[in-house]
Amino acid sequence: MIEINNLNKSFGNKLVLNSINIQFEHGKVYGIVGENGAGKTTLFRCIAGLEDFEGEIQSTKSPLKNHLGLLFTDPFFFPKLTGKEYIQLLCNAREIELGDIESRNVFDLPLNQYASTYSTGMKKKLAITAILLQENNYFILDEPFNGVDIQSNIIITEIIHKLKELEKIVLISSHIFSTLSATCDEIHLLKDGQIIRSVEKPEFEILENEMKEIVLENRIDRLGLK
Amino acid sequence: MLNNLIINPNTGIFSNQTNNLKSYFSIQIKIAARKFLDFGVHPILGVLLILVGFIAFSEYLFHQISFAANLIAFVSLTFTSALSAQKRNDFLQLCFPEKRYKSVRTIENTLAALPFVIFLVYKQNLLVAVVLLFISFTFAWSNFRTNFNFTLPTPFYKKPFEFIVGFRKTILLLIGACFIEFIALSVNNFNLGIFALAIVFLIVLTFYTQPENEIFVWNFIVSPAKFLITKIKIALIFSSLLSLPFVATLVAFYPEKYGIILAAWLIGFMLIITVILAKYAAYPSEMNLPEGIVIALGLSFPPLLLIFAPYFYFKAIQKLKLYLP
Repeated sequence: MIEINNLNKSFGNKLVLNSINIQFEHGKVYGIVGENGAGKTTLFRCIAGLEDFEGEIQSTKSPLKNHLGLLFTDPFFFPKLTGKEYIQLLCNAREIELGDIESRNVFDLPLNQYASTYSTGMKKKLAITAILLQENNYFILDEPFNGVDIQSNIIITEIIHKLKELEKIVLISSHIFSTLSATCDEIHLLKDGQIIRSVEKPEFEILENEMKEIVLENRIDRLGLK
Repeated sequence: MLNNLIINPNTGIFSNQTNNLKSYFSIQIKIAARKFLDFGVHPILGVLLILVGFIAFSEYLFHQISFAANLIAFVSLTFTSALSAQKRNDFLQLCFPEKRYKSVRTIENTLAALPFVIFLVYKQNLLVAVVLLFISFTFAWSNFRTNFNFTLPTPFYKKPFEFIVGFRKTILLLIGACFIEFIALSVNNFNLGIFALAIVFLIVLTFYTQPENEIFVWNFIVSPAKFLITKIKIALIFSSLLSLPFVATLVAFYPEKYGIILAAWLIGFMLIITVILAKYAAYPSEMNLPEGIVIALGLSFPPLLLIFAPYFYFKAIQKLKLYLP
């Protein structure tokens, strides 16, 4: 379990996360949604321990960061480092002995090529492969479906289902609601640094419609399309 | 219309100014000035320091090596070829109409080659200077676009990333150091051999000058002390691997000077340790002036490294605690 109590985070005078209280349980997939700048990435960085914060974050496996696979929206790759070496680097960091990487290359990536030359989607798939091979218990996937082809989307969705089956905790952020509906058990709506709504699977459609109403208002009419 | 687009230096967005060469180069000067300021040096002082360093280094080469002029031309071409990189040229071609793009590239390459050409003329190597200028012009009209997909194998594959990345980036320089060592032995110049060994260590130091993305520190599950020790251990093993052929051949050719050779080797290792510790003492920022001064002092009087290394070690531990609690 990951338990967040009274989490506050400010950058200067700007309060980015405001009194976040939330629990994540094993064997469940959680979606975090919100506009750009709502605080999703900051929340993920706090959970990962990459930011100082006020409040408390506790986990059954401690320290949390040592059991966490973190996928950023735009993962960083060194120039002149191959896909295989990237995976080796991340697994060495976690002291995981890697066997045959090729047989676990589920996205059929060209692992002997420099990762920096990969396309956006391939980079994301490589980063996902690396954190999966790290044998983590917790996963934070920030926009895992962005830039990824349809076949890989299906594979990633199945991987998330498998992680749930294996009793892992998975947090996903995505701007594509359908991907969250297909994978999540709960969705939390973050606005201005606060969780303003939390819904379970049966209510996803209601949340999606509410969000549509909030987001759209009369914007399309204002375009005056003829 | 699109061909007339150029980045406005004040707003950073595209506008269709026609007098855009001046804007482009003023942006380049601003970027260079910011880099100096980020390093903690006033831009004018920075330029002066580079100039003094360039002259001193070139003079040293001319004193030590008979083919120094060729070596200087090679170094110059390394800089100008970097300006022909595909991505930046694609960007420049988007920004400028064809003719203006060619002008920008010609001016850039001339400016990059100019200090080297002037020095070669001063040293009365007119032919090399003219050839260098000609090749620099040629580079200005070429765009290094390649579909060549070759991954250079390294002996460091089990322990990414510094030596793998560094080795691949600096392979030509390492080959150059081997060549200098070969010349040193063939002309029986011991100092030049030590210089080649020093080049290897200087190349290794560059592997550790840039801070890596925080995720590559955060991922480790060890304490800051263990993290630093592991980094140092890998650096020492792999730098031994790179420098051993140099040391072995020097000892074989100059057995009576083994003391000096081993001292140079030891100083090289001490420098690597100090730079690794200095890197993480400044982490996640880049090393800047204070670290640079301390390392330069250590270079000029190596026993000082024994004091600086522990200082950086304790500072690095504090910095790494955020990522490795």
